[in-house]
Amino acid sequence: MSGAARVGLTIDGRPVEAAAGASVLKAAEAAGIAIPHFCYHPGLEIEGNCRMCLVEIEGYPKLELSCSTVVREGMIVRTSTDRVRAARKDVLEFLLAEHPLDCPICDKAGECLLQDHYGLHGRYAGRMAEVRERREKKIPIGRGLILDRERCVLCTRCVRFLRQVTRTGELGVFERAVGSELGLAEGRPVDNDYSGNLVDICPVGAITSEDFRFRTRAWFLDRRPSVCPRCARGCAVVVESVTGYPLAAGERRVYRVTAGVNPAVNGHWICDLGREGRREIDEGRLGAVLRKGVREPGLAWPGAVAGIAAAVRSVPAAERPGGVAVVLNARLTSEELALARELFVAGLGLRNVFFAGLKPGRADGLLLTAERMPNGRGVLEAGLSPRPPALEALAAARVLIVFGPYLTEHFEAGALGRALAAVPAKFLVSAHAGPLDRLFDAVLPVTVPAEKAGTYTNIDGLRQGFSRAVEPAPGVVPEGAVLARLARSLGLDIGDADAR
Amino acid sequence: MSGAWTAVKEILRGTGITARHFFVNMGLHTLGLFGVRTKRRGAVTIQYPEVRKPLAPRHRSLHRLRPRGDGRPSCVACMLCVTVCPAECITVEAAEDPDPEVQKAPARFVVDLDRCCFCGFCVEACPVDAIRMDTGEIRLASTERADFARRLDRP
Repeated sequence: MSGAARVGLTIDGRPVEAAAGASVLKAAEAAGIAIPHFCYHPGLEIEGNCRMCLVEIEGYPKLELSCSTVVREGMIVRTSTDRVRAARKDVLEFLLAEHPLDCPICDKAGECLLQDHYGLHGRYAGRMAEVRERREKKIPIGRGLILDRERCVLCTRCVRFLRQVTRTGELGVFERAVGSELGLAEGRPVDNDYSGNLVDICPVGAITSEDFRFRTRAWFLDRRPSVCPRCARGCAVVVESVTGYPLAAGERRVYRVTAGVNPAVNGHWICDLGREGRREIDEGRLGAVLRKGVREPGLAWPGAVAGIAAAVRSVPAAERPGGVAVVLNARLTSEELALARELFVAGLGLRNVFFAGLKPGRADGLLLTAERMPNGRGVLEAGLSPRPPALEALAAARVLIVFGPYLTEHFEAGALGRALAAVPAKFLVSAHAGPLDRLFDAVLPVTVPAEKAGTYTNIDGLRQGFSRAVEPAPGVVPEGAVLARLARSLGLDIGDADAR
Repeated sequence: MSGAWTAVKEILRGTGITARHFFVNMGLHTLGLFGVRTKRRGAVTIQYPEVRKPLAPRHRSLHRLRPRGDGRPSCVACMLCVTVCPAECITVEAAEDPDPEVQKAPARFVVDLDRCCFCGFCVEACPVDAIRMDTGEIRLASTERADFARRLDRP
């Protein structure tokens, strides 16, 4: 913090230091003093319309907004005097005068700022004699978002997000006074790849997501941080799942993926592609070892790994460098890639180690990168070269080990099928079921990134460690365990402990 | 040897107590038949299931979901009963309701009576007074496990 000027002030009798130009609210938060607020969001410009963050500042005749007042040397701030408390009560009374008693059916209940603040600063006995305004309760505003105008407290976080972050400006506040309401500008629906953030930033339940709507309650969810594996940016995400396991048929395990906070990478936002990542954790997963595309009862993954090891051993050591081919992918963690290098390149001396992956998409200039595999930099750091697979080399192999279902991204199905038919022993290690399953001798089910711990290096070279965000689905193991066991079966002495 | 003697002694003592209750009660009931008022009455046995004791108004019996005007349950699927249930016996699946005034309704509301401890917390937690335990139904025995998972959202 050298260089930036620091300012000393007193908040609630406590000496606090803050960067010059910071708001009183930020300074208080940094000192562990919570000031209630709705419209203030650290990722957006200050608006100061909710009037919830009023504090008493010595020398000012009236209460001041802590979110928009800049700290000054020697400032004396009080956040919990009777005057401040009374003001908060009055502000909340006005907000709640028009707020429906929807908590039982509101998705936001349990993580709602209005509920939290009411618990601390509420005027519990209502004195509203007038009839509440009735407004529309279910307006689709595009991208699976539903607007409830009764619940809206007009904090304009969503309006500011769409103007300042995505710069698409679909939403606005229309009409005046009690008639003010949130609406779509020119009737154009919300249509941008960051729309899911509106649900996260809405401090009440005014904007909810169709995908999550009514599925569960916020307090049942176990929230654990992870790193998004859907592009090379490596945004911080929070995987929200139910802990009780196994589940009844049709029940969801991961209910949603929301934005985590990482100022160095994504700030407070993630894209909708990352949010949809919840589907790949739950849907289309392999749960048991397959042989020629059919479930093989009684064959657990150690048995399948023994099968791979036997196939590799059947190739004479002198012919292995050309006879055994491996296809890796950049979704493997750096630890697993290091293990793969030790095993396939240093240990077996293979010449044909390829990398398959998703086709690059379109970068949107905000967070989403064109590269759609999360650990491309990690591949280089591990000392591997990201060569795309060559069909002739695959077809010429006597043993083929493929990690991930990405070969279909590189070759069309017919040619790939013919090439694989020429390989006498072929094994697939994959988290998801796919068209490749029946082409391989055996398919091993493995974890998705959210189910394992490891390190990804993002497109800017930032190495990010993450830990397990969801308990693994039944019957799956991390790729690292497969690699370590394969190495042990082949008599190679490489870091077994690193795999776990 | 002394252990066996103690056992015989205890059996005889127990039989004596049972016999005493039998003769005392028989004597009291016989006196009652002849209209003699005694200070103590004979023990009362209810001949269940032919004869039933009335249940207290606050007695907690099998759950029910109170219907709305149109017969559908008034439950809004807020899952507070699921949250509060100490036996974790309630499963609620919510669905969108076509009525905009209702919005959220249960697609499935199951109480697993195998696990329910009849504490009545669900009744207390319900914000819309939808679940009640006032059916008076206490004969819940069954030989089929599936019978204990009761769907309350449909009759």
